Amino acid sequence: MTHKPPNLSYFTSQLWSGNQILVAVLGICSALGVTNRLSVSITMGLSVCFVTGCSSFIVSLLRKVTPDSVRMITQLAVIAVFVTIIDQFLQAYFYSFSKVLSVFVGLIITNCLVMGRAESMARNVEPIPAFLDGLGAGIGYMLVICAVGAIRELFGFGQLLGYQVVPLSWYATAENPNAYENFALMVSPPAAFFIIGLMIGGFKLLQKEEPA
Amino acid sequence: MSPSQPKQPSNVKIILFMVILSFICALVLSSLASILQQPKEIAKELDRSKQMMIAAKILSHEGYFLIQNEQGEYDPAKFVEGGALIPGNKTDIASRDELLQVYKKRIVPYLVNDKGELATFEEEGINEKEYVNEYKKTGYYKLPQKLVYEILPNFEPGGEQKETPNGYVIPVNGFGLWDAIYGYLAVKPDGDTVIGIAWYDQKETPGLGANIADAPWQSLFPGKKIFQESPSGETDFKTAPIGITVVKGKVTEVLGDVPKAKSAVDGMSGATLTGNGVTDAYKDVLSAYRPFFIKIHDEEEGS
Repeated sequence: MTHKPPNLSYFTSQLWSGNQILVAVLGICSALGVTNRLSVSITMGLSVCFVTGCSSFIVSLLRKVTPDSVRMITQLAVIAVFVTIIDQFLQAYFYSFSKVLSVFVGLIITNCLVMGRAESMARNVEPIPAFLDGLGAGIGYMLVICAVGAIRELFGFGQLLGYQVVPLSWYATAENPNAYENFALMVSPPAAFFIIGLMIGGFKLLQKEEPA
Repeated sequence: MSPSQPKQPSNVKIILFMVILSFICALVLSSLASILQQPKEIAKELDRSKQMMIAAKILSHEGYFLIQNEQGEYDPAKFVEGGALIPGNKTDIASRDELLQVYKKRIVPYLVNDKGELATFEEEGINEKEYVNEYKKTGYYKLPQKLVYEILPNFEPGGEQKETPNGYVIPVNGFGLWDAIYGYLAVKPDGDTVIGIAWYDQKETPGLGANIADAPWQSLFPGKKIFQESPSGETDFKTAPIGITVVKGKVTEVLGDVPKAKSAVDGMSGATLTGNGVTDAYKDVLSAYRPFFIKIHDEEEGS
């Protein structure tokens, strides 16, 4: 590592080599809960991007005046403000999404990856790198949960973003009971557990092959 | 602590910092809340209308309109100017304005008294909006004048709207596991057969009890009877038990083929208490509307 890495590297490292779900295994609770439809995953991902980006920025701005003994409370307060903003905004303009996401939006506050970025990165660097780092962490999170959401929606409902992808003629009918059927396990939260597990495993294998 | 960091500030400074921080946060949030107050209420109101139309089978869960074909099945429909619906397909997702226009044309609120007679809000001199907001929590079924919505049939584009209703929507409320639950139940003009249901406001456990707000479970209701049939196959509307029971498990396994199975639906595993709450809500609310159901049933028989 050079003495002062370029700003952009804060952003890019979060996307792959420092991905919050695949490497740090943070933010798993919501990744299990909201990934049964791709559209919901995207909404959740965007909300988290907004919260991590903005809260990292503010935490970094306040880093010189924040007393060390109350820094966690300060971070939590800043994060909570942004989460409430996004929650109110969803309720006002995207009511159906806010109904589906229900408790999970509020739980972004306790999403470990937001706090993780604030504590380990934002309070040590300038506001702009902190913002890029937070945004990158959010986008990395979003990419993973969207991939999980796409897999679950495709196999669980035969759809993507609500559009039928698996042709209806493939489905089992009374005359042809041995044809294709939706994979019911994919709809339930444990499926996300298996998919994320496999993804982390695959990611580790890929990283091993690359020269360190 | 690293040497580059400043010395720990005094307690006064720390407290001052927290006070200022909390003050700024509170200021941001309260001004946001007051700005978004109106759009939030509009969104809630729109969702309520949507859920009512889902219960009445004017709208599908996916967001396109529905019309009944000659066989009585529901087909996708699309909106034409004036609020009429014509056959369409599943990609014709209804917009906000279309929803509100169709709602205005097809759903009419009425008050029903203890004898089961209907009166409009104007006839009774009651402000509809105030009434609906004020008694949502207590439940309209406890009032001497209860709320009921009439579902008017679809009409030809440009044609006259018929006055004979397609059914009625009853507002239902009760208690789930965690909090109050609010929904709708639509019945056919025979006062007995369910058209559909919806739950528009609930705080049940996501993934378990909250499934009451989802399409797969709600699709168990259409065709169920709210009055329990006697073993002879007749229904005595004056004395029959009323309501829809959410059983623990599958209806076919728990009840088999007894007449009660026609007034029962499968429970959700892991959500027995929500199911009990739903059963109680239907029992309490629908019993209060019994005179109304008897009256519309008799009218339907007579005509």
